[in-house]
Amino acid sequence: MATRAFQRLPSAPAGRILVLRLAAIVLSLCIIAGVLALSGHSPVVLAELILRSTLGSRFGLEDLALFMCPLLLTGAAVTVCGTIGLWNIGAEGQFYAGAIAATGVALGLHGPAIMVLPVMTIAGILGGMAWITVPTLARAYAGVNEIITTLLLNFIASLLTYYLTTGPWRDRISGAQVSTQRLSVSIPEMWGIVHWGFPVAIVIVIGLALVLSRTRWGYEIRIGGANPEAARYAGIPVRLRIISVMLLSGGLAGLAGMFEVAGTVHRLQGGMANNFGYLGIVVAVLARGSCLNVIPAALLMALILDSGIVMQTQQLSASVVLAITGLILFMIAIGDELAHYRPVAGATPKGNA
Amino acid sequence: MSKQPAPAGVAPGTPPVLQLRGIGKFFPGVIANKDVDLDVWPGEIHALLGENGAGKSTLMNVVTGIYQPEEGEIILDGYGQTFTSPQDAIRAGIGMVHQHFKLVQAFTVAENIHLGWDEAPRIASPAVMEARTREISERFGFPVRPDARVCDLSAGEQQRVEILRVLARKARLLIMDEPTAVLTPEETGELFRALRAFRAQGNAVIIISHKLDEVMEISDRVSILRGGRKVGTFSTADCNPSMLAATMVGRDIVRRNMRARPEGAAPIATDPVMQLRNVSVRDDRGVDTLRDVSLDLYGGEILGIAGVAGNGQRELTHVLTGLMARTSGEILLDGNLVDRADPALFVQAGVGHIPEDRLRSALAPSLSVTANMALREYPYPPIGTHGLYDAQAAGVLARDIADLAQVTIPDFAMPIRNLSGGNQQRLVARREIRIASRVLVAAYPARGLDIGAIATMLGYLTDLRDQGVAVVFISEDLEDLLNVSDRIGVMFHGRLMSVIDAEAADMATIGLLMGGRDATHTQPGVAQ
Repeated sequence: MATRAFQRLPSAPAGRILVLRLAAIVLSLCIIAGVLALSGHSPVVLAELILRSTLGSRFGLEDLALFMCPLLLTGAAVTVCGTIGLWNIGAEGQFYAGAIAATGVALGLHGPAIMVLPVMTIAGILGGMAWITVPTLARAYAGVNEIITTLLLNFIASLLTYYLTTGPWRDRISGAQVSTQRLSVSIPEMWGIVHWGFPVAIVIVIGLALVLSRTRWGYEIRIGGANPEAARYAGIPVRLRIISVMLLSGGLAGLAGMFEVAGTVHRLQGGMANNFGYLGIVVAVLARGSCLNVIPAALLMALILDSGIVMQTQQLSASVVLAITGLILFMIAIGDELAHYRPVAGATPKGNA
Repeated sequence: MSKQPAPAGVAPGTPPVLQLRGIGKFFPGVIANKDVDLDVWPGEIHALLGENGAGKSTLMNVVTGIYQPEEGEIILDGYGQTFTSPQDAIRAGIGMVHQHFKLVQAFTVAENIHLGWDEAPRIASPAVMEARTREISERFGFPVRPDARVCDLSAGEQQRVEILRVLARKARLLIMDEPTAVLTPEETGELFRALRAFRAQGNAVIIISHKLDEVMEISDRVSILRGGRKVGTFSTADCNPSMLAATMVGRDIVRRNMRARPEGAAPIATDPVMQLRNVSVRDDRGVDTLRDVSLDLYGGEILGIAGVAGNGQRELTHVLTGLMARTSGEILLDGNLVDRADPALFVQAGVGHIPEDRLRSALAPSLSVTANMALREYPYPPIGTHGLYDAQAAGVLARDIADLAQVTIPDFAMPIRNLSGGNQQRLVARREIRIASRVLVAAYPARGLDIGAIATMLGYLTDLRDQGVAVVFISEDLEDLLNVSDRIGVMFHGRLMSVIDAEAADMATIGLLMGGRDATHTQPGVAQ
């Protein structure tokens, strides 16, 4: 009798989301396999190859960790900002700013790594913070939409990197294009090519989760994000909290840039952010506002990126890889939405009167 | 299941507009409705009474197709009906005006009327829609300004838009949930006139209300729900308010002279805890919303603030709690000048605030019950020590508050928006009373509560008074105000007309002041 068999719940239970997301991933993998089979590739061979070169081999695992490292930090940057209800779309630019600042230190300061690395770290964080300062102040004091200001600064940071790597900081030693010379110091490696930035990033993400749930500051941020009016009513200085959160967010993205320069690439290169800033937004959306969820979300994103590279070696064009990435995220988004629905028939737990 | 005869004035053989037979609706662990029979006849205004949680809203959600009943049947004009969606109910001529309006704030009145209406012209310019809206508005006798934006309208005007939306869709049965909760007395009068005109055309109205006087005034028959079941249906002419109240609550309400202090209560302090000196507030549009208000708050005293809503009460509460900066004048806390509006300053001074729109400004709806209950005490031990937030201690606090407020909460980690409005309100009130060590500013704390809960709420206020707290009690209900207040101030057009001794005050004087007439100018013996 009831044609409307489903009811939408205001909030979806975490268990249902997980189940539906897994279903979405499996389903999109089936679709991808089908399309690849039709275009003459063997999905089984490809799958085997991808598994072997990501999760199935030490080299693949090392690569995954290197991909995860910046994604963890940029994902955390966007998540932290989202907790107070703001969108930092500029992690990409802050990433570049952090990388530039760290490179500047490494190029200008000569000494033992034990001395240069901490200065580079601080410079990276400050660089990211500096890049978000104007959007922060504009947001806090003039109510300017941070989505637009942070986004626009990305292009400036990217072009500044191109300018530096082709101009004043260009590689005069080996003549590499759009790149500085190899930096004299680097973050020590802990496991193969995986540098210590990776475990530090994990610790930072866990630490942030604790700060948000277990400190007064974190509580005030959560209230400010959920209802700014209630925060004001409780006497929380919302403006100061916005400033601190946005600066923290910028600092995290800047640190990601420093890690990438000093741990993975060892040079400042044009285009080196590799969309990690934008992918941080995807990671944050997948994490649904929880810092701890950033870890599995970054892992999934790293897996997708890594598989994409493997597929490119098999004569699949980069745009096919992008389309596959999009399909997986699209299916996950559908799964998240479906998790809000439950069958109407039978008991429907919903607030009464 | 006795079939009630059609009331006088309905042609014999005419079936009721709406018949409910044995309606049952269950939620896990809760019987929201069970065995509910109801007849609504053409040309009648039928009041639905019941305490919070008596099942009124659920029943109306069943009638309007939002919920599907587990038991029973819905019969319209003698034919059985099944609504699978609210659209079905609208097509069948049932329209509901919710307590919280469902309008698009940024749209004009005309756009809101035409939104989602299948009779709206395919290509409609603003002029066409406004002309159509004007025509509808005149036809049904609800004056609106078609080109005004909804966000600029008063609550009463927004309600008229809601009603027009429903009437334009050819509703023959209009359901109104607490329609007068947000209205001024004049607006209430206008609404009732319009409802009577609607009834005179052979339509029917179901009105959900807590206000017994209004039920007596407007309704033809009254059905009372208690615990999800119908207690009975009565002809309003055979009822009186006290009998309705007793039937609704199912127990006697203890009325006490709430102004009398018990043994050991704190006396009224000699020095004021908070003072306003010629405080004025001008809003962004340059309108003076608070004009030259001076008042003193003393510990151990309840100051009632009467007045029609929208005459500066909101601004007064915001100035008293540091949420709004004054344009001129002085505010003194314990004799010290407060030089800036900072809510934190007032919180630290022990000023509690039960705001008018609790859900919008006192709660974070998407956060847990626990996080919301900690909102006032998180900076202090045991929750906040050394800059940390102790979630466990917050949980203990939330449990304490819920116990005191007599709200049962299945899961303290669920978002607080999952609770009913009445329960959210009780929790906020209890949370604020806990921290109000010096002053409590309570804006309409009884709004939306049932009779039993109102009595409890007023008891909270007098308990605080007896502990030596200065209470500011803002209300539209003169009876409540006269029951508990020691002094009563009346607000009109942002001005505090005068502050009078509640013992000596009578309804007539306050009524005149509420209408903007100064008490000193009203002379006794004037004709009328």
